[in-house]
Amino acid sequence: MARQTLLFALANVLIPVAILVFATGFFPYKPFMPGLATFEELGWEDKFGWTEAPEPKFDKLVFMVVDALRSDFVYGKESGMEFVQSLIRDGSAIPFTAHATSPTITMPRVKAMTTGSIPSFLDVILNFAESDTSSTLAAQDTWLAQLKAKEGGKLVMYGDDTWLKLFPDFFARADGTSSFFVSDFTEVDNNVTRHVPEELLNTDWNAMIMHYLGLDHIGHKAGPRSPNMTPKQIEMDGIVQQIYQAIENEDHLSNTLFVLCGDHGMNEGGNHGGSAPGETSPALVFMSPKIKKITEFRERESPIDGKGEGGFEFYKKIEQSDIAPTLAGLLGFPVPRNNLGVFIEDFLFFWDDASDRIQLLLRNAKQMKKIVEATFPSLNFEDKVRDIEKECGGSLNSGVGLSCKWQGIVQIMDTTAMLHPKLRMDQIYWFSRAAQEIMSSTASNYDVPRLVLGSSIALVSFGLTLIALWPQLTSISSTGVFSTLTLALYGILMFASSYVEEEHHFWYWITSGWFMYLFIFESRKEWFRKFAFHPAIMLLAIHRIIRRWNQTGQKYAGAPDISHSAFLQGGNSLVLWSLVGATYMDITIRLSRHIARSIAYSTSENSAALSKVAGARDVEPEDTDKDRFMGTLAVLPLGVTAFVFKLAFTARDAPELVQGIGAGMLVFVEGLSLVGVARMVFVGLALSASWLGMVEWKMGRDKRKRGGSGGGGFAPALFDIITLLLITQTRAQNIPLYLLFRLQIFFLTLLSPTPLQTTLTTLLLTHVSFFALGNSNAISSIDLSNSYNGVSGYSILAVGLLVFISNWAGPIYWSLAGLLLLSGATSVSGTAAKVLDEREIAASSRTWVAQEREFLEKVVETESEQAKFLSDRKVEKRAWESWKRHVGLLTLFQAGALVAVMGACTVLRQHLFIWTVFSPKFLYAMAWGVGGHLGVSVLLGGVVWGAGRL
Amino acid sequence: MTPTNTVTDLSKGKPSEPPIEILNNETARIYTHIHPVLVLSLYALRFKAIVADPVPALTNTLIPLGVMQIAFAAICLPPTGSEAVVAEKRKPGEKKKPGQGKVASAVNGKVIPAFLSLAISTLAATPILMLTLILFGAPISTHHWHTLLAAAHISLLAVVPLIYVHGVDGEKWREIVACLLPIDEVYGCLIGSVLGAWLGAVPIPLDWDREWQKWPVTIVTGAYIGFAVGKLVGGTLLKGKKIKFE
Repeated sequence: MARQTLLFALANVLIPVAILVFATGFFPYKPFMPGLATFEELGWEDKFGWTEAPEPKFDKLVFMVVDALRSDFVYGKESGMEFVQSLIRDGSAIPFTAHATSPTITMPRVKAMTTGSIPSFLDVILNFAESDTSSTLAAQDTWLAQLKAKEGGKLVMYGDDTWLKLFPDFFARADGTSSFFVSDFTEVDNNVTRHVPEELLNTDWNAMIMHYLGLDHIGHKAGPRSPNMTPKQIEMDGIVQQIYQAIENEDHLSNTLFVLCGDHGMNEGGNHGGSAPGETSPALVFMSPKIKKITEFRERESPIDGKGEGGFEFYKKIEQSDIAPTLAGLLGFPVPRNNLGVFIEDFLFFWDDASDRIQLLLRNAKQMKKIVEATFPSLNFEDKVRDIEKECGGSLNSGVGLSCKWQGIVQIMDTTAMLHPKLRMDQIYWFSRAAQEIMSSTASNYDVPRLVLGSSIALVSFGLTLIALWPQLTSISSTGVFSTLTLALYGILMFASSYVEEEHHFWYWITSGWFMYLFIFESRKEWFRKFAFHPAIMLLAIHRIIRRWNQTGQKYAGAPDISHSAFLQGGNSLVLWSLVGATYMDITIRLSRHIARSIAYSTSENSAALSKVAGARDVEPEDTDKDRFMGTLAVLPLGVTAFVFKLAFTARDAPELVQGIGAGMLVFVEGLSLVGVARMVFVGLALSASWLGMVEWKMGRDKRKRGGSGGGGFAPALFDIITLLLITQTRAQNIPLYLLFRLQIFFLTLLSPTPLQTTLTTLLLTHVSFFALGNSNAISSIDLSNSYNGVSGYSILAVGLLVFISNWAGPIYWSLAGLLLLSGATSVSGTAAKVLDEREIAASSRTWVAQEREFLEKVVETESEQAKFLSDRKVEKRAWESWKRHVGLLTLFQAGALVAVMGACTVLRQHLFIWTVFSPKFLYAMAWGVGGHLGVSVLLGGVVWGAGRL
Repeated sequence: MTPTNTVTDLSKGKPSEPPIEILNNETARIYTHIHPVLVLSLYALRFKAIVADPVPALTNTLIPLGVMQIAFAAICLPPTGSEAVVAEKRKPGEKKKPGQGKVASAVNGKVIPAFLSLAISTLAATPILMLTLILFGAPISTHHWHTLLAAAHISLLAVVPLIYVHGVDGEKWREIVACLLPIDEVYGCLIGSVLGAWLGAVPIPLDWDREWQKWPVTIVTGAYIGFAVGKLVGGTLLKGKKIKFE
């Protein structure tokens, strides 16, 4: 079987390789041009009499970002921003809807606004790994760098610390706020506002950046229609008024441009990340008393109704990247090098001389041409007139088209004919807008050979696993057919965008069918008298509750579910906390039993004496009442600390969930340091794990000395410890799910499924639990609330791990639970009885339990009889064999799923939804493949399986 | 409910009773093929109305469907117990009891069991099927009539013929649930309808925004198609085979 092991190992190594190769082709790393742009020679200087760049119209900038400021929050009829609207009517403000491209999350949006480039999807990952230095903009050309490089340039920054991470050491004065608790609507904003009056008096800065987070928090927490939304808009409006009036009244601010904008919008659920109209339509307002000069003949009505899908399109729609070149023109600095934005036409009227306008646009166009040239190195972008009639006739591909348009600029600039300046400007805009569109369209960026190579490697991995498993697959069983169906159907559905969005329906649906299959399967062996209470039917019923716990996906997002029902929230939060408390209690009791067992062992003075008892190869010291008491005493502090942490965390993160809790209790927990308490929990877990590991190892060693087989007690103990860790990383309203999971484990144990059935059950339930905990295939559903538990600074490793654990808690739980079931299913030494807690049965008096138990005992008896004929080594070998088969089957599914997802991304790379549906799915597939499969199923699973054999 | 069952020859499995045969007369042999066509035509005819407003349309369709299923059972299928009478109770040489006329015996022997099976399936099987639908994810707090009617349709399609041929013997039904009976036309109806209803849930989450994606249209459609396919396959290709799990 060494060949099989080798094939499995190879297949598993190929999984990350395939992911990596595919990712580099799918999210190509865009090289950026380093260094700051300078005013360069344009050509045609003499002809137009250009001696220097057009005179700047402003010398200071106030850049106010309100996170998730959707267009209708400013312009709509229900908006609370009356002052801004009065400025629009007055002509002192020019409003726009600034189209934000997907992914609509803060960091890529800030990059787009400051560099003018279109950030790649890779920035999504970097957004969660913010400290990554390659993603900082320190080395890139931005309008911040340009303003700082100016004479006397000094920047100040208040608000979201994303800016501080992106622009390290840029700011003379800064106060960053992190969005630690989404429930914080006021503190985050007050932290910014308190600096405003003081800074408005300071004369030393030439750019002040503010980033307010409160409005986004309200959106995440309660959606765009929250009663808190209008008061927050009024608050923001007040700050705008304060700043605007300072600009009007203070001399040193008289040449200040004031920009108010959102980095992205939000959807009807208050989340963002995708490309729904609401998410991609933030507001953008330029304000200054000087703007009146150019707004005389403009439409100045406000408030108005939005146009377009969803009604989020107000006034003129521009690209978010257009901000950078426009600021460059208005404040008089070179357009940042990597900019793909186009100067906003409305502001051209600041310059009376047409040649200044042409110069501005030409500078913008030349800068863009450099990027185009770098992308299409084989094409001609020279500034010399040449004959292009031949090559530019007919329909053109993107690169040639651009080269022709550029040549058009060259010709129209070069001609001596008397032309209206508008003709020249139109020609330049024609090129710039085409360049913007082509360069930001991602389709041209795929490295198709790599996509195919990555998919092929995944296919090879699939093939290798299939070859390795082939001897076992040739005998057809209905479970095998069911598994094949699952994989095949999953693969097909990955090509349907709606099924990617609604993937949970597939898993819920097939798992229902699987439990019914188990019912029929068991009924064939023996008819269960009270069939309505058959374990498989109970599994189905619990499954029905679990799938309803969190409404997820796109189509029904926000529909009623259990975790948001009145049953668990508001005044009823006592019900929730009773369930949470019960979950903690259950785990604490389980842990105390493990500890009691270990104490019993280490206190039994001479364990060797046991061996004198005839035939007591597998005898363990019985734990006495005293041991149990000691065990409880040892574990109780850990359980209580973990529970208090959850309560304290929730009181701050989701106050609506603790309303029913006594005020005194809340005051106590709110006084606690969350980082400290979380660390206590983690350390407690580590200590318990190492103590139990040590004792179990000794116990197993002793038993082996006496000729018995390994103890096997450590695996369930490790499982319980990890469960407590997972619960610590789970939101409070989801914790009762673990009680339901525990019940499912119990009923699964009663069924005692075959190894193959166990593997399939594991596979199904890992996915079901992933979605049941509220996850989906959308970026916006990633839960970051638990990512800083016990972490005070920023550590990418710790935070990344915590994010993974809190989002993959369900899959981790079920991978390990599946192993325990597997060890029950394959054991020859009666581990099943150990996993299935005997006391649990004794406590319950239902008849089916007793019946099933008898049956189970029979199974265990026959198995232990068989065991006598097997030597220990054989037992050991068989155990690892079954684990290998289990992992092999999981690998088969994983590789198959990857092939499907990669295939879908490759084939549908021109699909309308590629960036909104398939790319996020690929990111999730990456996490499933590397984290969920290699990290959890193979590595952690291997550790737990090994622990069971100590 | 298992979408995938491997089948082997009956001879390899445990010895069990043979599959149900269609009555041995010309009418039965012809009608058994016409029947699924009729049922599907009925559904196709009512489909638009069902999509427009499921509750009244499904309710109205129940009556013609019930009549058809009774007719099918009465014309084509041996009523429960008839085999037993033929095979075991009649001793060689013994003669049929004289008495009732032909029409009367036809009514007693066929139509009454048919009506009984209709009544039992609506009264007993429909609630059980409704609960099963809910366990499989049917809405629990809304759409009760929709779910109930879907269950009623499935039970008319799948259960009426089965009760007609097998009666309400508990042991028999255990075997039916556990997939231990040999496949025949009638059993094929059950497996087909139930599997069809299960697979019918697949199109619901798709973003095609079609009217027919609403609850429970796809489920009922799946059940009807499954019924026809199951009946055809069960009566021909897989006849007499037993479902094997291991």
